Amino acid sequence: MRKPVSVTPPWVAPVAVVAAVALLVAAFLVIRWYTTPVAPPPLTVDATQQVVSSITSLAPSELDAVGTGSANNLIKKVSGSPLSGPNGQPEVFYMGAEYCPYCGAERWPMIIALSRFGTFSGLKTTSSSSTDIYPNTPTFTFHGATYASQYVDFVSVETLDRNQNPLESPTSAEQALAHQYDTAGSIPFVDFGNRYAFDGAMYLPDVLAGMSWQAVADSLTQPSSPQAKAILGSANLITAAICKLTTDQPATVCSSSTIQSIEKTLG
Amino acid sequence: MRWQLLALAAGVAGLGVSIYLTVVHYTSIPLACPATALINCEQVLSSPFGVIAGSAIPTSATGIVWFAVSALFAAGRLAGRGELARVQLAWSSLGLLTVLFLVYIEIVLLGAICIWCTTAHVLVLLIFLISLTNGKGNRVTV
Repeated sequence: MRKPVSVTPPWVAPVAVVAAVALLVAAFLVIRWYTTPVAPPPLTVDATQQVVSSITSLAPSELDAVGTGSANNLIKKVSGSPLSGPNGQPEVFYMGAEYCPYCGAERWPMIIALSRFGTFSGLKTTSSSSTDIYPNTPTFTFHGATYASQYVDFVSVETLDRNQNPLESPTSAEQALAHQYDTAGSIPFVDFGNRYAFDGAMYLPDVLAGMSWQAVADSLTQPSSPQAKAILGSANLITAAICKLTTDQPATVCSSSTIQSIEKTLG
Repeated sequence: MRWQLLALAAGVAGLGVSIYLTVVHYTSIPLACPATALINCEQVLSSPFGVIAGSAIPTSATGIVWFAVSALFAAGRLAGRGELARVQLAWSSLGLLTVLFLVYIEIVLLGAICIWCTTAHVLVLLIFLISLTNGKGNRVTV
């Protein structure tokens, strides 16, 4: 008669497999933890000024050469009462947060586009959260910055800092605006005078991964670089939306064939 | 038998998840997934790993095939086809190895977790565990 001589308890194999999988996942998390880059310290005022000056003085021909590049056109036509800013000009409204990598990505083209219609001062460098997705995306903050233009008013709200501490609060009117056109509550949210709006980033922040602010600025002088295609492509889309608000003023910016062609796609 | 019934249910559930992700890939249906510090389906699915290398076919399409075959194996076992035990174990082992590679991509390379993918991964693990314990050869006799 044959009889069993050794019996493996049925729970041993599955428990061993589950434990091994759990250990492997824990090891992956540890590897990720150790390989996540540390946030670079913000640049000094002078160095920041150099970077801002570099990205806001790009030749129009270079912007034209990129067209929409690799940017995803998120701009949608909306209908509402025309939105005017504090100086009576059509208002470009931005709501985002410093921790948010998508906001960080979108600030680059916003600064480039808005600087074609006016001048920023007081911009500071920062980077997105170290613990969120696309950690430490190099960017700027609109918190504490001012913008002057004879064509448009720019109003920004950075709700949280890079550590997700409260920073600025939107007014009830601004909150209502965001709820009206950004029902999902995504950030960044940008409204162009209640004529056009978009939420989210026009390109993925991984294009900027591991780069310094200066390296990003340098890459924008190469129209074929992935950064130029993403950032300048997005800047052209934003520029076209602003030109729609300003009835194509100034002509030096809005009459370019690239901007005119994008304007047609905006409707 | 009840374990194979569970494997069949897991296969059908995984098939549903894979079909949903594939449909989302090919249409403009918004993906139901929160975006937090660690969970971000969009980041995972829009990454270069969201499609089979060198093609435009979403990775979830392989999930459709894998879960469909797994469900067929479980149905076969339920119908008394005991000889399928080894091939079911081999198939689920292949699935588990693939899942471990995908989890490595999510955590280490992308730093983001897709909850739909994780649901499918858990179902693969469940099917593997059932195949492991419900196959032949646990008992050694002389």
